[in-house]
Amino acid sequence: MVDARSNWCIVAAVIAALLFAIANHPTLAAGDRALGEYLSSECVTCHQLSGKHEGIPPIVGWPEHSFIEIMNEYRTKRRSNPVMQTIAGRFNNEEIAALAAYFGTVKSKN
Amino acid sequence: MPTSRRQFIGGVGALAASTFPMPAFAQAKPKVVVVGGGPGGATVAKYVAKDGGIDVSLVEPTRRFTTCFHSNLYLGGFKTWEQITHSYDKIAKAYGIKHVRQMAAAIDRDKRGVRLANGTVLRYDRLVIAPGIDLKFDSVPGYSEAVSNKLPHAWKAGPQTQLLRRQLNALSDGATIVMIAPPNPYRCPPGPYERVSMMAHVLKAKGHKKSRIIVLDTKPSFSKQALFMEGWQKHYTGMIEWQDPKMHGGIKGVDAKSMTVKTDLADYKAQLINVIPAQMAGKIARDAGLANQSGFCPINPDNMKSASDTNIYVIGDASIAGDMPKSGFAANSQAKVAAMMIRGELAKGRTFPARYTNTCWSLIETDDTMKVGARYESKGGKIAAVETFISKTGESADLRKQTQVENMGWYAGIIADIFS
Repeated sequence: MVDARSNWCIVAAVIAALLFAIANHPTLAAGDRALGEYLSSECVTCHQLSGKHEGIPPIVGWPEHSFIEIMNEYRTKRRSNPVMQTIAGRFNNEEIAALAAYFGTVKSKN
Repeated sequence: MPTSRRQFIGGVGALAASTFPMPAFAQAKPKVVVVGGGPGGATVAKYVAKDGGIDVSLVEPTRRFTTCFHSNLYLGGFKTWEQITHSYDKIAKAYGIKHVRQMAAAIDRDKRGVRLANGTVLRYDRLVIAPGIDLKFDSVPGYSEAVSNKLPHAWKAGPQTQLLRRQLNALSDGATIVMIAPPNPYRCPPGPYERVSMMAHVLKAKGHKKSRIIVLDTKPSFSKQALFMEGWQKHYTGMIEWQDPKMHGGIKGVDAKSMTVKTDLADYKAQLINVIPAQMAGKIARDAGLANQSGFCPINPDNMKSASDTNIYVIGDASIAGDMPKSGFAANSQAKVAAMMIRGELAKGRTFPARYTNTCWSLIETDDTMKVGARYESKGGKIAAVETFISKTGESADLRKQTQVENMGWYAGIIADIFS
């Protein structure tokens, strides 16, 4: 039992370390930036690429995980704006990661 | 970022130009000609040009463009003329677009050339046609381009819009306004009804008690109808009367001299008559044989190419875009698909399956705005809506106010997207 438990602990630690490495590795975690740049053209009709905002929130320069989290909240309709629910609802995980990767590297000029 | 990349490419170009004979360099660059500098044409010119490697000419006679979208807000006094008028200078400079200030006179599809009004011919590898709409003046008996100087259509933003505003502001209490609303398909489906709202706003703000607005419609229903009707009842009780063809029995025509609109049911004498006639694709697209019997141009929903010429893309109001409405937002969205496909064809750019979006906001009264929108994909041979939304009747004042903030934010956004 003791051995089994310690083995399990080691496995769990290794998995956790791997997950941490994946999540923080710049290439493994990053979405497809070229795909993100193409998809972004849909966003920049309303959200300005410069980061300026006059009634519609800025979306450039965010940490990728925050961008993904908010898009998921629109997808699952936990956030209420119907425009964003419709936009986010049609993107899959890969596409949202791609958008997060692209917008994450755009610096706000605001 | 796009700027630094462009500057880099510009630097290489300058080096190449000084090192190699010009003709060889000039021939190496594929040529894209864009006809029309509206939200479709200006957007496609920018998105094709911004990553370099393609020579882009934008054929558009005017120096500055006044947007049709938000021209109703100008009418209602919510925006100035300057706020809806924008220069091409920034995109010409930033992305190296040649702004050719000429009218396009004709297209030679076999020789792949656009002849300009001054006789010059521009050769193209790919052509984008974005001429917007032409008005079928003869769709309303008694109406003509000459008559529109007295009875404005104001359906192309410009002097006509300013004329309509002057006429509206000059009305005194007890006035009758008649609007003839157009048959489908036409530019900006909610536009006539937002315009009616803005007219009512101006009259109400001036303290009019007896003025009225009669809308004679050529169709049995219209975009966001329940929402407009609710708003008119709430803000402009008794001022607006909307008649469908069953009510007026058919529009017989207008008489500019006596300022009268004749219908089967009655004749209406008015102090202001706004005629929005039936519409078709801009002349250049029809003359080039790109339109079908509907007067608009069939396209391939996968890429916005003309259904009859693979060297030509047709975008915006002139195209038959399936479920997409004719709107500035839609033209901007279609332009991005076309630009990606053109860069894929001419500059080895990556291409992805086409996606389209549209949202239309309409202002009913101060801080009371609603919206309709959708996402679209190529499906079953057309651009089909895959998800839609619309504001609801009975929404809270807070939400409507927030939607107006969004409307103004969107305008700032799309203008930055198109013109900078």
